Formats: sequence, structure tokens, C-alpha cells
Amino acid sequence: MTAPIPFTVIGGFLGAGKTTLLNRLLRGAEGRRFAVLVNDFGALDIDGRLVAAHGGDTVALANGCLCCTIGDSLVTTLLGLLERPDRFDHIVVEASGVADPGRVADLAVLEPRLSRDGVIVVVDAAEVRARAADRRVGDTIQRQLKAADLLLLNKTDLANDLPALQVWLGTQSDAPVLEARHADVPLDLLFGLDRHGATAASPSSDTFASWSYTWPEPVDRDVLLAMLREAPGEVLRAKGIVRFADAPDRRSVVHLVGRRLEVGDEGPWGDTAESRLVILGLKPVLGSLQRE
Amino acid sequence: MTTTVYSARRIVTMNPNRPFATHVAVRDGRILGAGSLEELKGWGEVEFDTRFADKVILPGFVEGHSHAFEGGVWKFPYVGYFDRTTPEGKAAPGLKSIDEVVAALQAHEKTLPKGASLLAWGFDPIYFGGRRMVVADVDRISTERPVVIIHSNFHVANANTAVLAKAGITRTTNVHGIVKDASGEPTGELQEMAAKYMAYRAAGVEIAAVLSDEQAVWRFARVAQLAGVTTATDLHNELPDSTVEGYLKASASDDFPIRLLPAFAATAIPPAEGVTRLQALVKKNNDKLRFQLVKIVTDGSIQGLSARMRWPGYYDGTPNGVWNVGPDDLDRILLAYHREGFQVHIHTNGDEASEVGIEAVERALAAAPRWDHRHTLQHAQMADAGQFRRMKALGMCANLFANHIFYWGDIHRAKTLGPERAERMDACATALATGVPFAIHCDAPVTPIGPLFTAWCAVNRLTASGRTLGEAEKIPVADALRAITLGAAYTLKLDEELGSIDVGKRADFAILDDDPLSVPPEKLKDVGVWGTVLGGKVFEAPKA
Ligand SMILES: [Zn+2]
Ligand SMILES: [Zn+2]
Repeated sequence: MTAPIPFTVIGGFLGAGKTTLLNRLLRGAEGRRFAVLVNDFGALDIDGRLVAAHGGDTVALANGCLCCTIGDSLVTTLLGLLERPDRFDHIVVEASGVADPGRVADLAVLEPRLSRDGVIVVVDAAEVRARAADRRVGDTIQRQLKAADLLLLNKTDLANDLPALQVWLGTQSDAPVLEARHADVPLDLLFGLDRHGATAASPSSDTFASWSYTWPEPVDRDVLLAMLREAPGEVLRAKGIVRFADAPDRRSVVHLVGRRLEVGDEGPWGDTAESRLVILGLKPVLGSLQRE
Repeated sequence: MTTTVYSARRIVTMNPNRPFATHVAVRDGRILGAGSLEELKGWGEVEFDTRFADKVILPGFVEGHSHAFEGGVWKFPYVGYFDRTTPEGKAAPGLKSIDEVVAALQAHEKTLPKGASLLAWGFDPIYFGGRRMVVADVDRISTERPVVIIHSNFHVANANTAVLAKAGITRTTNVHGIVKDASGEPTGELQEMAAKYMAYRAAGVEIAAVLSDEQAVWRFARVAQLAGVTTATDLHNELPDSTVEGYLKASASDDFPIRLLPAFAATAIPPAEGVTRLQALVKKNNDKLRFQLVKIVTDGSIQGLSARMRWPGYYDGTPNGVWNVGPDDLDRILLAYHREGFQVHIHTNGDEASEVGIEAVERALAAAPRWDHRHTLQHAQMADAGQFRRMKALGMCANLFANHIFYWGDIHRAKTLGPERAERMDACATALATGVPFAIHCDAPVTPIGPLFTAWCAVNRLTASGRTLGEAEKIPVADALRAITLGAAYTLKLDEELGSIDVGKRADFAILDDDPLSVPPEKLKDVGVWGTVLGGKVFEAPKA
């Protein structure tokens, strides 16, 4: 059986910047084939030079990516996509502005052909608090924030009191917060390391960096997982193939997106030489991890 | 040019100038007149048809909120609690226990080819004294082929081990909607997204097309016709080309027994494209197929605890429901279709959703004033008197879900709404008093299509347990009959063409065994339907 396809959900209220982010993703895909399921084509406005073919509710891009409108049913759109002969490296769903993105991500748990990656909720720094206080949509916003594995705090240039907003977000969600303007963040941070496996190149940025670990000897499970759990504010993504001391015959897969840490089993360890782990995060923390 | 005069025991016309008659004359599929034989003879030579001499003729019933999906699901066995009628006119008796459901599906299983999935629908365990169906029950039907039993609300399903194993569902699966027992094992009951996903996985995605193809719409039309319906909506359809083709083919047949009004699902494509698409579809309209309606679904359902409620919310403290289309998107989508002159039907179950729907119409009218738009709140189950007054002021209509009182009234009273709001739900009397034009509906396949039963609910407001729910919201039989004929036609902008027996209108009749105005009101639902006449063509219902 082929490896399951990582499945990411982008949530967040209307106008938060989901579309900007998806456009960045489609432009910056670089050899990785993304299938992006969007709610409303009209708003996505894909760069015309990228479009290779337009057919009904799908747009194929020259870089191999595909964009589908969800229309009325995410379930049928997604199943239709999985039935297509072309294979994708990553599937990204734009949840509707009022959907609970956590519920959407559940689909990847139910579908063996998918692996749940992250729930990224895009937050409008200027609007979110007013929206969250609205009697009709406030609870919807709160559910979205709660469901996030990673919060992308967008439009920080428009926030009038960023520190206060950060504190408030901390009361709404356990997810680490990534600040951005115009949804400008390194895509690897959001959409994973799968293209590179455990040898990621550093994303080029002043504030973000990657760190790669290798261990020739089996690794103590508790120590490693504790290290990842205890730096949740700064470690935003991690992926590794690890040989744990308590299961030296198995290939254990460590996968972290924001606050969500999972360890899976990928079969026998085989003849791989060493354990590898790649971490993406904010710069200061990588220094401290290095010391350990 | 033949003119046929039908005699009847009584003709109830819904035309106040001549409310009753003994004869109706039909020419070229239209009503030439209703009155006495002497009067109608003035039109010249006529042919007599006396086959309805002992019947009662009403305007053909108009079902303002149903789904052609009803015809789709009849491809699969019905396993509900209440008796239902198949498209062939056969009785599908209600199954009164989990064992009966299992036994019926065991028999069905033997007829299926190897490897095929088994799907069934209409299951409703709320009447089984708290006992839920579990995976062991479903495994008695088959452990090999995938088995999915969809509940009557279409939001919950039961699956067998084969289905759970294929999806890798175990006690460690942490997904919303997978019901687990006290020991933490999945019971096989799946809710919402999990239910939908498993049903499609078991049946294959192509099932979506099968559920709304040409055969499905034929089955739907037959089920409707058996209930005396001559015009029915398919009130939420993305209208892919395959569906449109099937509808065009079916409606072109002389034998197709209804006029069908599909409502375009506005969230299927961006509004700008949707408007163009609908404008193109309108050009394909024929006598029996009318593209003209738009549907937007705002919230979920009350019984599914997903309706958007105003304060104080659910009686049992359940958190507020979910938006499918939230307030901002509703404004944007509604305005796009409103500007182009389309009539929009807005699904609102909870009272917060109704409020948002009303305000969206108010804003659309401020942005683009328009007369006689007749934007309609569909369900509007919790709308209170104030909301009805606003609807009236804005020129809106309501289509109330009167059947709910019977099927879910007890649950609404005890759990979701509490006694006070349950008693005023589906407020037909308030609609009458405030002057909001209204219809009543069944939402088939959620409840069986049956306008006389719906009217009976609006008149008697009896729940399944026999409780009267809301004495003050009962309406007289005559008003209920209007709501399933002319009233419903008004909400579809067809009242100048259909809905009453009046000169020049289409010769669409419901032929009844008895006079609904003379039987005791509590017997209204038992009035037999002999068949229908559509555009002058007689459709006799097969005898069950
Ligand atoms: Zn509805
Ligand atoms: Zn409906």
C-alpha cells in the first residue's frame, strides 16, 4: 500500500487570510503536488499564468497542483479527488469560514488513504476579538481557535495592541501562535517536511529555522517526547523516523504540528543507519535544543 | 379540441368566488370552468367523464419543500418505524424492533451480488425504548459485505464490523461522531460527518449521481403522485449536468406525473457563476420542469442539535448549533441572486437562523429594492410572532414544517425546546394572524411525502405519543388545505397558474375518496387519494 497522503485543514473566519495563504502555497509549491480544496473559487483568483487547464469545478496548475471547489459536499469532493488516477503529495482543505476545522480534519482519521497533518487556523489580528464577542458568530470563532493545532496570527500590522491580543489568544487556545503579515510564512512550517524527509533545508527567514538531529543509538522515548512537548511555543513542526530504546525493532514516526504530537509505527526498523528528527521553529528555541 | 367535463361528488376549488362546484371542464390541459353542468355546457360540445362522480376533487397538492432524493433512496430498502408507501404504491410496513430490521435486511442481503455493499435507510430507534442498534446487530446481517443503515434523519448511521475495520475504527479512534459504549468500544453508530463519510465509502461516490438520476426522479414523482401531489420541489440540488439531463428527459415524457421545481443549491459554485448557470437553466424550462428557485441552507436541525438558537438556547443545555452558511456569506450570496431577480428559499430551523435570514433579506432590499420577491424562510420552526411580523413587513413567505410536530414534537418538548417553545413551533396560526403567506411541508425523505398528513398535523398538532402540542397554533382545516395548494403555490410564484380550480389555470387535480372538509378533522390524514390529474391527464394511483 502507498503511504497515506498528508491532509491539512486551513480554518478561520471570512477575511482572515486563508485565500492569501492558499495562493502563496500554490505559487510556492516547488515540485510538490498539492491538491487544494477550496470553498469559493471566485475569491481564490489564481494567477492566470499558473493555470494549465480549467475544467468545471477543477483548475489544474502548470506546477502539477490542482485546485477543486468543494461545492456542497466536502465528503464527495474529497472522495472524488482520492479516486483520481493522479497522485498528490499533500491535500489541503480550506474549511468554510464558519466550519469547525477540527471536524474536517477528522476525515483524515477515518480515511486510511490520508494521514491527518495539522489544523491551521488563520486569525485576523484586527478583527478576531470583535468577532469572538459577536452573539451570532462568537461561539463559532471560539470553536475554531480551540480546534487549532497552530494559529497563524495574520495582519499583525493592523492589530492595535498585539501583546494584549497574544494574551487573549492564550486563553482561547493551547496552540502556538505564528505571527504574520499577508500570510507570509515559510510554507514548510505549515505544510510539512515530507518532501525533504528528515533532511530539510532551512527555510529562509530571519526568525524561523530548522534543526536536524541524528542519533546512531536508540533514543529514550520519554526524554525525546518531553523535549518536544515542553517547547510548544517555539517548536512549530517536527518529523522524525526514530528507533526508540523501548522498541528498537520498530520504525517509530514522530510527528508534531503545533500543539499536536503523535507517534506512529511504520513497521520494522530494517537497516536504516540512524534515527533522524527535523524540527522547524522559531529561532531562539533551536539554540536551547541544540544544547541538549 | 376536446372539452372534457368531469362530474364529482364535490369540487373544492380554493376560489372564493365559487368555492364549491359539481363539475369541472378541461380543455387543452387547462381549466375551462368549474360550476354546474348547465353552465359548462355553454362552452360548446363536451365529453362527459363520470369516473370521479363519487370522488371529491381538489386542486392538485403542491409540495413546497421536498427532495427528489426521496426517489433516490427508494433504490434501497426502507427500514423505518412508520408505514410508508413505495413508488410502486406498495405498502412498506414499519419495522417495530431492531430484530425486525435485522430480519428484513438478512432477507434482503441474500438477494445482493457478492461483494456489493448493503445500504438501508429510514431507521429510527427513538421508539425502541432506549435500546440502540449496535455493531453485533448489524453483523447478524453480514460480517463480510459492508452494511450501512442510515437513520431517518440522514445524519446518523449504523455500520457493521466490515465497515469499521476498513476505516480502521477502533477504541483508540478519536473522532467526533463515533459513538462508543461504556467500555470505550465503538458501537457502530456514526454521526454527522463520520456517518456521511462511511455511507459514501460503502456505497461509492457514484452513489451521489444515482441518488438524483432519471430513475430517481421518476420514483420521486410516483411517490408524490400517490399522495395527490401534482407539483413538487426538489429543494436543494447542485444540479450537475447528469441530473439536469435526467430531469429534462423525465419531464419530457407524457407519463411523468408531476411538475418539478428544483432549487439550485447556492453554495455549489460562486454566486456570480451560479447566477449565470441558473439563467441558462431557466431557458430549458418546460411545462413540467421549472428552474427558478435558489436555496441557501443556513443552520442545521433542531432534533440534530445543530440548529442556531437565540437565547436561551437548547432546553437541555446543549451548546448552540452550527452554521452551514453564516451571516456574512448569507448576505453576499442572497444579494447576488436577489439582484438578478431570483426568488431565494432560506433554510432556517432555529430562531437565530430565522433572525439572520430576515435581516439578510432586509439588507438585500435596502441595497436593491425589489417588489414581490417572496423570499421564503423554509422550516422557520421556531419563528415567534415578532419574526412573523417582520417577515410580513418585508414581503417574505414562510414554509412551516408542520410534520415535525408529529414526528419529533415529544422530543422537542422534553429535550430540545422545552414545553413553551415546543408548543409554539411551526406556528401556522401566527402566520395566519400576521398575514404572512405560508405553506406547510414534509421535507421528504425526512418525513414521508403526504400533504394531507401534513395538513392533519397543522390542524390537530398531535405528537406521536398522542399529546396535543400547542392548542393555540392549530389552524382550521380550510386554511390547512389552502396551505397545501394555493398557499404553497404562492411561495413558489406559481399561484397564478396553479393551486386553485379556476378558469385558465392548469388542470391539476387531487382526486380524493372523501371530502376533507366534511370528515372529522382528526380523520383528515385518513382521506384516501384515488390519484391525480395533471394538465388534464389522469393518473390513477395503484391500489396498495
Ligand atoms: Zn432544510
Ligand atoms: Zn429539506
